[in-house]
Amino acid sequence: MLVVYMTLGYPDVENFLKFITSLESAGADVLELGIPPKYAKYDGPVIRKSYDRVKTQIKDIWRLMRQVRDSLSIPIVALTYLEDWINELKTFLDKLRENGINGVLFPDLLIDYIDDFEKYDKEIKAIGLKNVIFTSPSVPDLLINKVSRISDLFLYYGVRPTTGIPIPVSLNELITRVRKLVENKLVVGFGLSNDDDIKEALSAGADGIAIGTLFIEEMGKGNLENAIRLVKKFRGLLDEY
Amino acid sequence: MVKEEEIIPKYWYNIIPDLPRPLPPPRDPQDAEFSRIDLLRSILPHEVLRQQFTIEKYVKIPEEVKEKYLLIGRPTPLMRARGLENFLQTPARIYFKYEGATPTGSHKINTAIPQAYFAKNEGIEHVVTETGAGQWGTAVALAARMYNMKSSIFMVKVSYEQKPMRRSIMQLYGANVYASPTNITEYGRKILEKNPNHPGSLGIAMSEAIEYALKNQHRYLVGSVLDVVLLHQSVIGLETITQLESLGEEADILIGCVGGGSNFGGFVYPFIGNKKGKRYIAVSSAEVPKFSRGEYKYDYPDSAGLLPLVKMITLGNEYVPPPIYAGGLRYHGVAPTLSLLMKEGIVEWREYSEREIFEAAKIFMQTQGIVPAPESAHAIKAVIDEANEAKKNNEKKVIVFNLSGHGLLDLSNYESMMKRWGNSGK
Repeated sequence: MLVVYMTLGYPDVENFLKFITSLESAGADVLELGIPPKYAKYDGPVIRKSYDRVKTQIKDIWRLMRQVRDSLSIPIVALTYLEDWINELKTFLDKLRENGINGVLFPDLLIDYIDDFEKYDKEIKAIGLKNVIFTSPSVPDLLINKVSRISDLFLYYGVRPTTGIPIPVSLNELITRVRKLVENKLVVGFGLSNDDDIKEALSAGADGIAIGTLFIEEMGKGNLENAIRLVKKFRGLLDEY
Repeated sequence: MVKEEEIIPKYWYNIIPDLPRPLPPPRDPQDAEFSRIDLLRSILPHEVLRQQFTIEKYVKIPEEVKEKYLLIGRPTPLMRARGLENFLQTPARIYFKYEGATPTGSHKINTAIPQAYFAKNEGIEHVVTETGAGQWGTAVALAARMYNMKSSIFMVKVSYEQKPMRRSIMQLYGANVYASPTNITEYGRKILEKNPNHPGSLGIAMSEAIEYALKNQHRYLVGSVLDVVLLHQSVIGLETITQLESLGEEADILIGCVGGGSNFGGFVYPFIGNKKGKRYIAVSSAEVPKFSRGEYKYDYPDSAGLLPLVKMITLGNEYVPPPIYAGGLRYHGVAPTLSLLMKEGIVEWREYSEREIFEAAKIFMQTQGIVPAPESAHAIKAVIDEANEAKKNNEKKVIVFNLSGHGLLDLSNYESMMKRWGNSGK
């Protein structure tokens, strides 16, 4: 499963839409769409910069989301922080659904809202949205197992403390261990940057990979074609497994 | 009889997979102009950083590190405090793990050795750190020497002046020792500009050490708070478990003092992880009231904000501690895993004042003959309280505490306490 991340409207609406439109034929299975938060607590510097850039550019995020929906048929998962929407959660979730978004991924759900994550999970599902749950190596085993069963589409497992920074980690050990606990499809992300990382993740039992920073870097440099070529390359790597 | 070498564990123990809830990850501040997490890659040895973020429950101790552990006298003794028991006339049995028995006089060497080893393995020839009272700096100076590396230590100025003997030991081991704030770093110069007589603080010294390591492409060794340090310190608790087993004892209460949390975590976590012991008590100073007044929130481990934010119980990274008798307890925060265990009620806490710990230290000196570090005297005060409680209820509890360091280089502090509180024998 290839999960492609892109920040909504990055680097500008025109190029963003060109990238999105090519995703399906390039082989992406799911689009993870980043909605700029007030504080990107668990994002790395590249994705943070992409948020800063689009924050001032996009007038109407809902209209743009609708355009994204209309140009794709694969599932779209909105990635944003629960912190920002917690006081108007129902309205926010309704709007996502109305604009054709299939699900949400709140990276801070298990970290900062651990005591209430089941309540929020029910609320998200009651609206008719899918809830993709984010976990990491510091989530206790029992909890990983529990949320893997309620997570929709797949369980997201971030192997590093932040996106886009290649902190040294033992991918094989991390993923082999978590594979046994996950009763769902397991998608691994956070700092997967090269072919070796990806091959190691897949051999260790990941069902899919989530990539973002690399596409943001290419798009930021104006290399739309390269970004799409990379999506195709990752599709190829996945198909070998 | 278990052989000495067999008491030293083969693996360090990591509590993260055994925590009751997710450990909030380190993060970069909002509107950060650079990524602190990325910065870690340039200042810490690669393997230290890997271990900081590992979730392996057991991490193998390299043979080369084990050899050095033997060289510094590990396993350290687990001793029964019969003198103290008799004095208190308690039915409780009291044991202490004597980390003061290492050449540098405290537990700090347990992590200085592996960190220096990993740096050396990566081709680094110079390591840098900060020190308050001098225990950590001394440990780094010796560890660096063991692997033929240079070391530079930024020592909090007030300690540099008040503890010339610690400074001398570091210099004898071959370290460069600087009184922080210095004028050799940008951060130090900024502090001195505002106040040329600034007494320094651990946070400032830490910031200077990081800046210096970064500029010169040396590596920075970290003394407390970070998970990797608590991982290495787990040799204390793992040895204690084996030693208690060979005595046929089971611990009821485990006690340690907390500066940043490394000796406490290293001592107690292996017990928590192996479901041994019934109660765990962390002790700190009433003069630096982080347990009672600290907030559980994201904060910087250092004053300058060069390290990533971590979620911990903290008095705030700009907190200026009073110049208390127990330098090691002046730190503003509590290690993230320990903060979490305290919030969950798994670890209890106590805070004692100088007067209380002075009395406890004297009792210990007079009944056991060992001068405890003033930091460790906090643990002793809690031990005495628990032993008295056991006496009241006539319970044969087994109380084990970590005597994290000796106080032979803290005698000037004790002299000052004698002047203030009198020296009437108990």
